Amino acid sequence: MQQLVIGISIGSIYALIAPGYALVYSLLDFSNWAHGEVCMLGAYCCFMAVKVAELPFWLSCVLGVGGAVAVSLFNERFAYRRIRSNGSPNMFLMIAAMGLSTTYQNLANVIWGGKFKQMPKLFSVSSINVGGAFIGTTDLLCLALALIVLALLLYIIRKTQFGLHVRAVACAGRTAALLGVKIDRVIARVFMLAGALAGLAGILYGMKYNVYPTMGNVGLKAFVASVIGGLGSVPGAIVGAILLGLIETIASGYISSGLRDLISFSLLILILLVRPSGLMGVDVQDKA
Amino acid sequence: MKKVLVLVLSALLLSLSVLPALAELDTENPVLIGYVGALSGDTALWGQAGLNGMLLTAKQINEEGGILGREVKVIGLDGKGVSDDSVAAYKKLVEEYGVSAVVGTNFSSCNIPIASVADELKVPVIATAASNELVTVDADGNLHPYSFRLCFIDSYMGYLAGSYAYNELGLRTAAVIEDITDSYSTSVGNYMVETFTSLGGELVASEEAQNGDNDFRTQLTKIAAKQPDVLFVPWNYENVALIGQQAREVGITAVLFGADGWDTTELIELSNGALEGGYYVSRPGFNLPEAAAYGEIYAAEYNVALETECLYGNDGVQWIKTAIEAAGSDDPTAIRDQLEATESFDGLLGHMSIDPSNHNPSRDAAIFRVDSDVVTYVGIYEP
Repeated sequence: MQQLVIGISIGSIYALIAPGYALVYSLLDFSNWAHGEVCMLGAYCCFMAVKVAELPFWLSCVLGVGGAVAVSLFNERFAYRRIRSNGSPNMFLMIAAMGLSTTYQNLANVIWGGKFKQMPKLFSVSSINVGGAFIGTTDLLCLALALIVLALLLYIIRKTQFGLHVRAVACAGRTAALLGVKIDRVIARVFMLAGALAGLAGILYGMKYNVYPTMGNVGLKAFVASVIGGLGSVPGAIVGAILLGLIETIASGYISSGLRDLISFSLLILILLVRPSGLMGVDVQDKA
Repeated sequence: MKKVLVLVLSALLLSLSVLPALAELDTENPVLIGYVGALSGDTALWGQAGLNGMLLTAKQINEEGGILGREVKVIGLDGKGVSDDSVAAYKKLVEEYGVSAVVGTNFSSCNIPIASVADELKVPVIATAASNELVTVDADGNLHPYSFRLCFIDSYMGYLAGSYAYNELGLRTAAVIEDITDSYSTSVGNYMVETFTSLGGELVASEEAQNGDNDFRTQLTKIAAKQPDVLFVPWNYENVALIGQQAREVGITAVLFGADGWDTTELIELSNGALEGGYYVSRPGFNLPEAAAYGEIYAAEYNVALETECLYGNDGVQWIKTAIEAAGSDDPTAIRDQLEATESFDGLLGHMSIDPSNHNPSRDAAIFRVDSDVVTYVGIYEP
């Protein structure tokens, strides 16, 4: 029971990051490796606002999410869009993303140093005992926020006009453009949306653990989650994320923590071999 | 008026008489001492402190006439706290800069590979807080002739922790969580448990995790089910802060017990009170009077929080100075011979002597208690 709670709480962080990979992949067919660093920069923005500028925490969170949105949009405008308009192959986008990822990580190291920074704790170390399982208050907050935001995301993708545009571009970009969808604008907005989710994930991650330059590496796990769920599928990414959190917890709880990553990455390879479209990415039509 | 003139003249004369002494410092032909430490990355706190300590001490030595009348120059290179970068930094210091001796690092994982390289290049290296046995002897027990250290070894810290928990705190059941990717953690942890159980205590849970993990609750949940009296946490402080908070979150009430990886001013701030009532064994640090005085000068010079690592930096330079003066030369092999023959060296970290058979110092160790917002020096502990 306790392990289940822990698994879900780890998974809920992955779940906030994973749809960012899924959304970008569905539109542009590449894995945005800089996405984890967007998380990290969002967390640092929030940290700076609350600790250095001494702003109230809620405002700092807004600024943190805003910072992540800005970074994500910056990546799209100044790197990815140019590569797209040059007509370069998709591989170039992925290479650019890797470059951005390393650049941001090193930049954070230079600006803030490698030391762990701590977000203010909204609650002291406390937990609620539910049926023998301890649930941390920060975890509860994370989980609740993640659920609300992810529900909102699914609503946006499924029910709004913007969501329709996203799905249209994902499905058939050229046709959508011919029918009047402004592709670049849709892509820019998707990057903003992904950035906002990443920023929130970064702040929550920072609250649960710490803020540090390499924290964006958690993005790798989220990417694995989005592959498990089916690259390009938002609901798949969320399911994959929770599943990965549970698998990791069970692997380290009942098998060995040394084998945890081995097991989760073996699963990734297995899924790529047996069911390349993942759990929920049935075919191209289902993207986004 | 005359009086003033006399005063001015005598002041001038005085300054002139001092100037030649300074001018005599041979700056053309300096004594070069290298430093390898993590100057970037998440343990840069220690690396920077070690280098700062060396620079400050070198400055003080130069003001007092240098070593054998020659200026001391400290060259610090970034080993990033990882073994290959640290080995590369050591080689660069020796091969490109031609240093006579090297101080650093504070990580066993870095100094174990450096030790073999030092044997080849024949320039002594003095590890600071690298406490694994294999830093000075190889796996077969053969001495690395050019490898030394300033700190006590893992087994001694583990022995003190186990003994203090059992004998002084009266705790009877223990659990341990170790970092399986770090030889420091596994070796200190194993010695803690070994001592504790050999005294009659019982080990009820033993868990593993990896450096880079942020969530230890899976392992801690298993430990919580056994409710031990003491939980040994031989990790570095960032992880100690996380483990402490998550341990409380899953309902562990045990006394948390650690080693010198806990020893930093940031421990309290990062841990949110979760370590309250915990203990760790480490160096006496700034609690000895000479070290406290040095700490004040250090804090004024660099305007940063005090880290024990700066005392290691000082002791490293001073120990090398003593060796060079005893040998009458800065030849690396002559320095090595003098380091090995050290019977008594008093540094800021207290008194020490070197065992020539394994290059391990025997020195004083202290126990610290963590309270809600302060770390209290309990005292030197000799079981």
